[in-house]
Amino acid sequence: MTALGSFLLAASLAVPAAFFAACFFPRRRDAALAWQWVAPVPALLAALAALAAGPFDLEAPALKLSLRLDLPAALLLLVSALLWIAAGAGAFVDRAERPERRAAVSWLLTMIGSLGVFVADDLVSFYLFYALVSIPAYGMFAFDPSPETQRAGRIYLAFALLGEAFLLFAFAMLAVGEPHGSLRIPDVVAALRGSPWRDAALALLVAGFGAKMGLVPLNGWMPLSYVATPVPAAAVLGGAGVKAGVIGLIRFLPLGIPLAGSGEALAFIGFATAFYGVVVGVTQQNAKAVLAYSSVSQMGVIAAALGMALAAGDPDAPALVAFYAANHVLVKGALFLAIGAFAARSARPAAWTPLAVALALSLAGLPFTGGALAKAVTKPLFGYGFAAVLASASSAGSAMLMLHFVSRLPSLRRSDATASPEPLVRFWPAAAAGALVVPYVLLPFVGSFEDAFALSKLWDGLWPIAVGALLVVWLARAAHRLPRIPAGDTIVFGEKAFNRTMSSGSLFDRIDAAFGRWPAAGLALLAIVLALAYATAGAG
Amino acid sequence: MTPAETTTAGGALLVLAILLPAAGILASFALGGRNAEKIALGSAPLALLIALAILAEVWRSGRPIVYAIAGLSPPLGIALRADGISAAMLVTTALIIPAAGLYARAGFATPPEKRESRKALTFWIMLQAISAALAIVFVSGDLFNLYVALELLTFAAVPLACVEGRAETYAAALRYLLFALFGSIFYLLGCALLYGAFGTLDIALLAERMRPLPAVTAAAALMTAGLLAKTALFPLHIWLPPAHANAPAPASAVLSGLVVKGSFFLTVRLWFYVLPALPAAGFDAILGALGSAAVVFGSVLALRQARLKLLIAYSTIAQIGYLFLIFPLASGLHPWTVDGWNGGMMQVLAHAFAKAAMFLAAGLLYESLGHDKIAKFSGAARAMPMTFLTLGLGGLSLMGLPPSGGFAAKWLLLRASVASGQWFWALVLLAGGLLAAGYVYRILAPALSSHPVVLKAPPRRAGEAIALTLALVAVALGFAPESFFQLIAIGRPGLATAGLP
Repeated sequence: MTALGSFLLAASLAVPAAFFAACFFPRRRDAALAWQWVAPVPALLAALAALAAGPFDLEAPALKLSLRLDLPAALLLLVSALLWIAAGAGAFVDRAERPERRAAVSWLLTMIGSLGVFVADDLVSFYLFYALVSIPAYGMFAFDPSPETQRAGRIYLAFALLGEAFLLFAFAMLAVGEPHGSLRIPDVVAALRGSPWRDAALALLVAGFGAKMGLVPLNGWMPLSYVATPVPAAAVLGGAGVKAGVIGLIRFLPLGIPLAGSGEALAFIGFATAFYGVVVGVTQQNAKAVLAYSSVSQMGVIAAALGMALAAGDPDAPALVAFYAANHVLVKGALFLAIGAFAARSARPAAWTPLAVALALSLAGLPFTGGALAKAVTKPLFGYGFAAVLASASSAGSAMLMLHFVSRLPSLRRSDATASPEPLVRFWPAAAAGALVVPYVLLPFVGSFEDAFALSKLWDGLWPIAVGALLVVWLARAAHRLPRIPAGDTIVFGEKAFNRTMSSGSLFDRIDAAFGRWPAAGLALLAIVLALAYATAGAG
Repeated sequence: MTPAETTTAGGALLVLAILLPAAGILASFALGGRNAEKIALGSAPLALLIALAILAEVWRSGRPIVYAIAGLSPPLGIALRADGISAAMLVTTALIIPAAGLYARAGFATPPEKRESRKALTFWIMLQAISAALAIVFVSGDLFNLYVALELLTFAAVPLACVEGRAETYAAALRYLLFALFGSIFYLLGCALLYGAFGTLDIALLAERMRPLPAVTAAAALMTAGLLAKTALFPLHIWLPPAHANAPAPASAVLSGLVVKGSFFLTVRLWFYVLPALPAAGFDAILGALGSAAVVFGSVLALRQARLKLLIAYSTIAQIGYLFLIFPLASGLHPWTVDGWNGGMMQVLAHAFAKAAMFLAAGLLYESLGHDKIAKFSGAARAMPMTFLTLGLGGLSLMGLPPSGGFAAKWLLLRASVASGQWFWALVLLAGGLLAAGYVYRILAPALSSHPVVLKAPPRRAGEAIALTLALVAVALGFAPESFFQLIAIGRPGLATAGLP
């Protein structure tokens, strides 16, 4: 089984890479891009095999690659592969509605990164896949010439690159802190405990992965880019793409030894994000922006759970949080497809609305949905104190936000940004049903049904929904009094500051021109000679 | 005192590496006309073979190979010496020069109706002269000999910058020449001072005899400043953008990719091989600070250029800045200097290939669009996908994103700066990467839009293939195996102790 597992693990990256390689042969290119939705199948099989008989390891020293497929990775890889296959099939099967070539290549590269980042086991491979899931995603939406899309693309890229820079700095600290020169993630994280750069590295890691997850204050790019992104791409990015940040935190936080200060700080950021996402989200009118803020909020919950686990030194957290995130992959993907479906049909089948409501409330932990299982599984991480209250309150907030989302669905009109290929419109109920059912299949690997269906859990699940429903009634009455917060909220200040910085660029032109004059150049040369002479003689 | 150095096995290869291009120059003069092109391109495989043979011999013996000219050991004679970095640079030169040459065949063929044209003859002879000069720079073990090589390099590079013969190229070349000459004078003055103090200019002997004398202080300052002017380190960079941006594309590729590395290589020789015994404190911080200023300044100006070639030229200024971080990050006897040294040298190679590829791609763009104004690139990537792929891959390395040589370099330099507690350089490296992403975005984003575009001429397939190959080498450097780093450590002074934790 281990041999088979390693083989499948290798294939789960090699097969998508082969599709990419085929793009360099003009005669194979279009076929490779049209059929790329089958490329995640080996990853799906590898994840299944790992759930049954994992974990698997794989080393490819020539490519400087080492991979590991353990339980958290298998959970996330399984559902992400499912989402990439489902959304990909819907997007690419129909010849007439297929994304154009450059967007299709970006799709493929992002997919490779999205699958690879879950299984990467050393710093350099992880960084490579992380860059792949972040940067090419720009091409999945940003080639549209409309100014709003261009703006969203620029902002997306700026945050992606900023996050990469934070991470690279953190990774350098991790690598240097490891005394034996190993670059494997478990080794460098184990060495982090005694490292002099522990707190700096943790802060940079949270900033880097937080930029991907949309943790406050690095959340502004998310609503902007989801609003601009076509439905199939938004489904995979909002579902699978952001989980690169989650797996990052799972892999790199030194869980298992209590770090109270850092853990509480992360939990604080997480809860702040969870509530911030709800508060700003309910002021949004665009359904995709509402989903984006719901993602912000959910990622906040995940960060809070990991923060609590870090503070408590809980070694079981990775699989539990991965299960929570896996549920979010499925639900968020299906909800984006719902936007496409509702926009495409003015006369909708009667079953669509209840399905959408169930799906939406799954994120708030509606009993008997996958979300209820996810909440039940992660409940121990929050303990029984103040954090548990906050977690329940955030569920109530989520219920309000998601009901607000459902209220936006009937008025959806078909536009470029909500356009969804016909197969995705027809089959979205199947995707939605899958999103509600698959967590049941995965639950036995991280918890038990008895726990999840205890009567107290049922009550735990129901009251936040009830509170959320009351809040949304209030919201409907107060809607006209609420401020209109632009999608991307704080990003407006960021842009202003950026433009102000850019306008100082003419100063550099003047400096350049000044050094071009001979007296200035001569003086510079002389100054360098004197400075070097001083330095060389100083200690002599 | 160690026994006088004598010729080692394979030492004759070093002579061949210099003699081959030198003989090519003489033959080109004598035979003239079309033959210059044939000789320049025909000798290229041979030059590559010699470079590879030197590399193999250095690797096999695990120490520098030496040739004592006329059998006389220093201080009586002059020694040629090739260590790991010499070998790596010789191979790099032997790859980039022929790539530029093959690319240049279309633009620098002798017209069929003429027997000889000034432009073509100049180009092919000067290209070989650069080969010869760089070969001497990389294998010479004597500071005066290196002075001659530097002068040869300048006098080969300046004509290349103005080979087109347009008025603005003359102005740019003249400025280049003046800066380079000032640099040479400073360097020569320093040589004279060192000779006066120690009676030799052999690098190995100087290193042994080095003592802190006033003359040494003056010599080190003068020589370094001269070399910085030739390397275009901020704020002595001002000659580079017009010279590199107005030169024809294959010349720009060689000038930006290789020629500035010649004087940088010499700066490294000076501080790591001649002067390490000097109890100098702070010179490394000065060079690092100038490099950091260059990174920020060059990148910001690259962001502000309207023309692609000027953007790439300013990017060279920024990338040169990274090179100078090797002084604070690789000097002294600390364990982390291994990463600093490896990162600095990787940056030399990655930038050489990436920048050469990008200048060649810029030339193709100019030919096909009739301009190189970035604002008018809309939609061009659809018409010229290979060219923009080259720009993208080169840009990947400049930004330091994986997989690429630029990433490997940045990663190693970052590690060295973290390990040594020199945080500031880490911030410079990261900020430089973000700014580079900004200017690469400026090139690529409009080009990828679906705007319709009309080409004056389809891009030359051969030219595209050459540029793309160079960009792929820059990417492949990211996969450099451990043995590559073992190679460039051969002959590095102070390694015996620095390698130990």
